[in-house]
Amino acid sequence: MLELISVTKKYGKTVAVDRLGLSCAEGELLVIFGPAGAGKTTTLRLIAGIIPPTSGEVRFRGQSLTGVPPEQRNMSMVFENYALYSHITVFENLAFPLRARKLPDAEIRRQVQRMAEIIHIEDLLDRRPGFLSGGQRQRVALGRGLIRDADVYLLDEPIAHLDARLRHQMRGELKAVCADKKATVVHVTHDHREAMALSDRMVVLNKGKLEQIGPPGEVYHRPASEFVAGFVGDPPVSFIDAEWTQDGGTAGFRVEGQDAPLPANEEIREIIRARTSVGQLRLGFRASEVEMRTTKDERHTVRGEIYVVEVQGHRNLVTVKIGKNMVQVSSPPGQQGKVKDMVWMNLDPGNLHIFADGIGIYHPPASMATARAQ
Amino acid sequence: MASVTLKSVYKQYRKVEAVRGISLDVAPGEFIAFLGPSGCGKSSTMRMIAGLEEVTSGDILFDGKSVLDQRPRDRNVAMSFETYALYPTLTVFENLAFPLRAAGSSSADTARRVREMAEIVDIGDLLDRTPGRLSSGQSQLVGLARALIRKPSVFLLDEPISHLDTRQRALMRAYIKRLHIDLGYTMVYVTHDQEEAMALADRVAVMDLGLLRQVGTPEQIYDRPADSFVAGFIGDPPMNFLEGRCVKEGEQYWLVRDTLRLALPPRLVELARIGTLPEELTLGIRPYYITVFFHRNDPLDLPGHVYVVEPLGEMAILTVKLDQTRFQVVVPPDFHAERGQPVWLKPHPEHLMAFDKVSGLAVQ
Repeated sequence: MLELISVTKKYGKTVAVDRLGLSCAEGELLVIFGPAGAGKTTTLRLIAGIIPPTSGEVRFRGQSLTGVPPEQRNMSMVFENYALYSHITVFENLAFPLRARKLPDAEIRRQVQRMAEIIHIEDLLDRRPGFLSGGQRQRVALGRGLIRDADVYLLDEPIAHLDARLRHQMRGELKAVCADKKATVVHVTHDHREAMALSDRMVVLNKGKLEQIGPPGEVYHRPASEFVAGFVGDPPVSFIDAEWTQDGGTAGFRVEGQDAPLPANEEIREIIRARTSVGQLRLGFRASEVEMRTTKDERHTVRGEIYVVEVQGHRNLVTVKIGKNMVQVSSPPGQQGKVKDMVWMNLDPGNLHIFADGIGIYHPPASMATARAQ
Repeated sequence: MASVTLKSVYKQYRKVEAVRGISLDVAPGEFIAFLGPSGCGKSSTMRMIAGLEEVTSGDILFDGKSVLDQRPRDRNVAMSFETYALYPTLTVFENLAFPLRAAGSSSADTARRVREMAEIVDIGDLLDRTPGRLSSGQSQLVGLARALIRKPSVFLLDEPISHLDTRQRALMRAYIKRLHIDLGYTMVYVTHDQEEAMALADRVAVMDLGLLRQVGTPEQIYDRPADSFVAGFIGDPPMNFLEGRCVKEGEQYWLVRDTLRLALPPRLVELARIGTLPEELTLGIRPYYITVFFHRNDPLDLPGHVYVVEPLGEMAILTVKLDQTRFQVVVPPDFHAERGQPVWLKPHPEHLMAFDKVSGLAVQ
């Protein structure tokens, strides 16, 4: 088990990582995900021992790593900027860590060949790094990092520079090779698809602070905060501002520009009642969690106006203006509805994510979200 | 707004043929996206429209008149990469006002148009700031607003939002699309991102190796790709392909590749009967149109093994090893399977596309 215990890293007055606590089990693939400046790379460097924490400690198998230099941690790190040996071939770059272990030649050739297939560079083994494209160099660096036997693999945006097609393909390969090796991996990315697709658990960081840690499905369906909801998924969660009202006996959410409040179920009323102050409320949903109609009916009661319609092939993505809020809804390809049309949406609070002062206080039951996504 | 016509436009840099004879009509007010991988010639094409590059041969016309002898500024085009050239000492307001003042607009009119544009691009609360105090996304919006404010005849955008994060990119995409609808400018957009091109454009021009592969509405290039390059470039996850030979057994026609056999759908069987189906064939199927079975359900299904499952929230991508090849299938988000587990795939026959294996052209 790799553990970070209340780790803080300050550069002068800037807090890059703020009292971060997390753990990564052996054989687990943990993905650290967040926007630029979230503290992702700093966290990885703290684990590797390249920089010391200002306070707190990193532990591995129960032992503190404080004072242990990077080369004694038996961790393999792959950087975003690939540090390859420029005077030897790709084959020798990959073989290097194996030769250091004095493996027999035949075994080295077998392992290098296997890794070359995984990272799709079989035909480049005789070249020197100077003759490779940026994407190819990045793959060689990844291969060299993975071919080693290490206790922990630390991967910093290892496939970020590849073009989209290759990145998607390599993502699957990376997941498969890590599973085969039962490797303990901490992987850093700013790409939410990569984070979701690869991780056993994902860590969402923002401004050096932990926003949420959990399996990707949980982070996706039960985002802990507005930040997580608005950052994970493509498109991410849409929000509308709401106010709590108990006028006329029906408790619910008043949305600007709508005739009637959206009635809340008993569970939501309980949650709101339990709060000392209601706070700033926002309702959230994913594009596939709600529906839109061109006529009003019993279920489709929230009025909006189509802002744009974007074709995605297997579906359309419709941006709708509800009062001041822009929300996105998916609709089947070819469905009617054009810019400036009035539409009606089914926003039942029981099926929505509810946030108060930026914190998730209610999520629809998971089974419901899954069923609707299908 | 102007119409833009490209007539057999050709561009050679020393020995490299960047653009190899492109002809295209862009209607006034149309939004066209040039889409292709890096090095396909899309940016060179745009730079020739802008007048930043000379045309090696061919002609470029705005509203039917050749613009080859006009300098960039005389063509009245606006370009998105003006984004990076904001005046650092001027406020956002002054940056936006600059092109209007230069054109002799009155100060009341200038202020009104600046506020209008700021409202449209949603930078109303940034007007007093200087560019040094803007985020990269905000600078991009200001650059966009400044380029748009002088009502160009043609608006050229070269990868204008590729550096933004997912959320900002989704928002900007919607803004740009709506701006086009509201302002009605002729827009030419260059991108390597198929999702962006599909989302934004009235028509997409798909380029590869300096050639125009297909020009069509987003629906046309997705549903009826002209060749296997377009089919593979459009759509995410990408289309699955199976190359093989067309073989007849009894009344049924098959695509055979090593140990894999895929039954041809009736539409292709008809073509095979009248002899217009190439013998060497590539079949394509999008990952959305395949059903996965854990048991052998139908002798026609393709047997394979689970390679990896990647959950992506609203769906998951299942990669299956089929003999020597791999297929990707979009499955529900809670899909669960063990690595190496046997599965059977049923491609939906109505969504199977066929291409000539040699030329890559779609078999219609």
